[in-house]
Amino acid sequence: MIAIKDVYKRYKTRHGMGEMVLCGVTVTIPSGVNVGLIGGNGAGKSTLLSLIGGVDHPTKGTIERNCRISWPVGQGGLEPTLTGRQNAKFVCRVHGHYDDLEDRVAYIHDFSELREAFDEPIYTYSSGMRSRLQFSMSMAFDFDVYISDEVTAAGDAAFRKKAAASFRDLSDRAGLIMVAHGEKTLKDNCQSGIWLVDGKAHWFDKLDDALKAYNEHNAK
Amino acid sequence: MEARSPLAITLSVWRAIFLREALDRLFKERAAWVWLLVEPVMHIAFFVWVFAVVRARNIGGIDTSVWIMVGMLSFFLFRRTAIQVMHAPSSNKAFFSYRQVKPFDTALMRGVMEGFLMIMMSVIVLFIANLLGIPTIPGDPLLVIVTCGVLWLYGLGYGLVASVLMELVPELEHVLQILMLPLYLISGVIVPISSIPYPYQDYMMINPIAHGLELVRQGFAPHYHTASGTSLGYILAFAMTHVFLGLLLYRRFALRLVMR
Repeated sequence: MIAIKDVYKRYKTRHGMGEMVLCGVTVTIPSGVNVGLIGGNGAGKSTLLSLIGGVDHPTKGTIERNCRISWPVGQGGLEPTLTGRQNAKFVCRVHGHYDDLEDRVAYIHDFSELREAFDEPIYTYSSGMRSRLQFSMSMAFDFDVYISDEVTAAGDAAFRKKAAASFRDLSDRAGLIMVAHGEKTLKDNCQSGIWLVDGKAHWFDKLDDALKAYNEHNAK
Repeated sequence: MEARSPLAITLSVWRAIFLREALDRLFKERAAWVWLLVEPVMHIAFFVWVFAVVRARNIGGIDTSVWIMVGMLSFFLFRRTAIQVMHAPSSNKAFFSYRQVKPFDTALMRGVMEGFLMIMMSVIVLFIANLLGIPTIPGDPLLVIVTCGVLWLYGLGYGLVASVLMELVPELEHVLQILMLPLYLISGVIVPISSIPYPYQDYMMINPIAHGLELVRQGFAPHYHTASGTSLGYILAFAMTHVFLGLLLYRRFALRLVMR
């Protein structure tokens, strides 16, 4: 369960403190529910997601997490001078997987289909290879809740198909909080929705209701 | 899955960063570890040769080679730790997208890594020098260990403070780099501070690193005449102030260091 209580967030800009992006968001996300964040550009979807993920902290308010939350799927950092394998090992170690390190690295190697390139430095990778590795790393760990910002799959058509399948698989066994502009992606993966508008969040048990509210608001 | 305790997370992050830094420092390029050793050895060899040419057999009552070697290694201990720690957050930016990794973890682990490497290197250099007949067995090992620990702590503290300041004011990087060069000259690495006339000697002793070098030399040869006013408390106070100031800055600006 993730309890967001009265969260405010604003960023520092070049001209001092910016406007409030989130003002007074209070939402409770039950465990095991897949949630889509809906809202226009700049409504604070990514902001809320990074607050939930713990990468950023709210200006005011609290977020309680009683579960293991992933980093944004497919957006884990890669150190360019290290090889794919070394990066994978680093992430395994950070997440405390010392005993089954080899298995997980083998899984990432296998899933990413990078073959020999896995032992080459990241700076030699194409952007497709990078995102394949990043996506594979996200798939190699078991989290209670995964967060995903726009990216569900990357790489060539064959890899994208495989990635989409395992992403759906993952959304069945764990919780998912995602931002996506494609309505189809949201409908495929989520049951519930949070609609962000004017810095406030509205919870909908059914994703369709959230999308309806969002579209009606836009039509006005 | 069961949540890990904060301590368990921190420890596994430290271990991961330590291994990653070791890779970076020792195997980044072909035989990168050789160059770690070559730099201080060349500095030492050059100045030992210069002093041999001018026939300075002893400084402050101890063998010139020991004086140079010990001073140089202690100075490198400080400088390398400071520089490595200083650049720790900026060279690990990619890993901050995993929220478990905090900038302070990278800084601390880099400091530990560098201290560890400098101990290994110093032991190798002193051992070889001893085989060559230079008396490099410390007379007061405890003083050597304590002073080296304080010099390392000062390097860590300086690096911590500098890394945050550099993030807040990027131009400071140039200023700090310029400052490092005269430090080599005014810390008594190659110019004996006790040979400098008053009142300038007292001015030189404002620099805490000079105190550190004098004390390590005294640890190696207890009969060494240190510059007047040499005090362990002085450099320790500097080191602790920097470490705590650094910790404070990391606490205050933790997010600024992580944000891109």
